[in-house]
Amino acid sequence: MVKAVNGQLVEEINRKAAAMRRNVIEMGYVAGDRGAHFGPALSSIEIVASLFFGVMKYDPGDPYLPDRDRFIQSKGHACLAYYAALIEAGFIPKDLMYTFKADNSFLSGHPSRNMKYGIEISSGSLGNGFAVACGMANAAKMKKENHRVYCLVGDGECNEGLVWEAVMNAAKNRLHNLIAIIDRNGVQLSGRTADIMDIDIEAGWNAFGWEVLVVEEGNNAAHLLDALIRMKDSRSGKPHVIIANTIKGKGISFMENSLSWHARPMNKEQYEHAIADLENG
Amino acid sequence: MSHISQEKLQEWSKLGHRTVLGETLEMLAAENPRMCTVTADLTPTARLTGFKEKYPDRFFDVGIAEQNLIDFSAGLAIEGLLPFVVAMSGIVPMRCAEQMRSAVGYMNLNVKVIGIEAGVRFGPLGNTHYGMDDIAVARVIPNITVVCPSDPLQVHKAVRAAAEYEGPVYVRLTGGPGFPVLYPEDFDFQIGKAIEYRPGRDVAFITTGSLLAEAVEAADILAGKGISARVVDMHTVKPLDTDMLDTVFKQNKLIITVEEHSPIGGLGGAVAEYKAGFSDSPRQVMASLGDRFQKLGDHEFLLKENGLKAPELASLAEKSNG
Ligand SMILES: Cc1ncc(C[n+]2csc(CCOP(=O)(O)OP(=O)(O)O)c2C)c(N)n1
Repeated sequence: MVKAVNGQLVEEINRKAAAMRRNVIEMGYVAGDRGAHFGPALSSIEIVASLFFGVMKYDPGDPYLPDRDRFIQSKGHACLAYYAALIEAGFIPKDLMYTFKADNSFLSGHPSRNMKYGIEISSGSLGNGFAVACGMANAAKMKKENHRVYCLVGDGECNEGLVWEAVMNAAKNRLHNLIAIIDRNGVQLSGRTADIMDIDIEAGWNAFGWEVLVVEEGNNAAHLLDALIRMKDSRSGKPHVIIANTIKGKGISFMENSLSWHARPMNKEQYEHAIADLENG
Repeated sequence: MSHISQEKLQEWSKLGHRTVLGETLEMLAAENPRMCTVTADLTPTARLTGFKEKYPDRFFDVGIAEQNLIDFSAGLAIEGLLPFVVAMSGIVPMRCAEQMRSAVGYMNLNVKVIGIEAGVRFGPLGNTHYGMDDIAVARVIPNITVVCPSDPLQVHKAVRAAAEYEGPVYVRLTGGPGFPVLYPEDFDFQIGKAIEYRPGRDVAFITTGSLLAEAVEAADILAGKGISARVVDMHTVKPLDTDMLDTVFKQNKLIITVEEHSPIGGLGGAVAEYKAGFSDSPRQVMASLGDRFQKLGDHEFLLKENGLKAPELASLAEKSNG
């Protein structure tokens, strides 16, 4: 299914994804007792890497570049994945990563708008980022600008009524320049999504008039890239959503699919175990 | 009330306010079959894991949906249940202020909302997670009583009192693990009745929530400098204990209101509103989180930044006392 021309690009995304995972673990470990949202960041690494290193246009030397593609991380608690990408993309100097969650740092536990470092919006209160992204896409459409708005949404986040209000509004306004990606890792804060609010997300977005694509292997960069390109090239005129079936805590054996690694501190032993997992691929 | 042993108090002091909340809710459930809890995907954070296991039929998780959280609970209350909503104070009541007004307040329903980790307790999680406006939002809604307990035993008593009270109550929790026992013995806790924690002639600290601990320490510092500081535990911000305020207005020449909240609409605002009716009342200085978004930092760092630790409160009193 993946076009051969993308082979090299996929390799590059995978290299970046590996570096990002390492950044996530280093930053989360440095936070010490303050803890970090490891699971939510790790499930979304390939999604964020495919966006930043596969499809998005931007210039770290010119963060306000008018026709840059926008990335909105609505599930803001996964900020480590975002920061990790901004480091690899050259927006955030690498040495600053050790200030994650430190007093007076700008790298807070949820993104805080800071254009100098490429952070487009403040998020952390679930549901809001996605609705804001819809407004940004509508503005671009009105101004006849050609960039796209990409928005990362959690599957638990889709419990919020606000998400569905925005879904309806985006379809009504035919925001073809909007691509939402749902990180369907199947786990939210208190338990499995199937136990907390078992809804058919795919049917929901479809019913409200979005073009829907499911990526069965949501941690596979080749499949994600293919889906993103298809959505970019789509002529449906509808807003697009990619539902990526991911694994919460992906890449760290003791975090994968675990209910206890949503957010917590990581000790030295766990850190060493995590690094070993990353090094053994 | 059920007796709370000294060992239990020590344990609560170590584990903090949320643990007290979780255990108290389980005690209430054992006593009252109508009592239930409602959460929006915060079971472990809200310390409801034990409740969910013991009383699965009286535990509701509406998913991450805070507006629904409140209206759903309003429905439970209309049908005679006693719902306790437990939520993050930075999201609830602000996110669902209109539901708190049009359903809970307007119909004067027996819904109890507990806002956890209020003020800047969530430290490094940042401004979306700070409860700097929750007292203001709850307090502006008619019929809603607002209670901010200080130490673990008072949390226990406040949650119990909320259960016994007929009508909507917002209970706000600040403070956390390793919190000092401020009330070592059983004491009389009544909603709306402030506690004179310590008498004093010169300045009067009027506090709400866990900052009582800092004010008491500040009073100690001031005592060493020959300044006599009264400390009032104004655990109920609405309705204010105006009898206590009348006494303070007569006897003290400086009031410092102390709260982990915006100066707008919280304890400081409430006291100032009442004080405005007097032509000769003492000067009031507000110690608060200020009218601004916060820097990033842990809880202690942010309290210090905002002048809410004991040494800063003492020097504020000294400076303003002149
Ligand atoms: C409005 C709001 N309510 C509650 C929370 C607390 N919270 C943070 S993450 C989370 C679960 C999110 O689940 P999901 O969207 O599936 O993301 P995942 O962690 O699985 O990536 C919750 C309830 C919040 N941040 N914002």
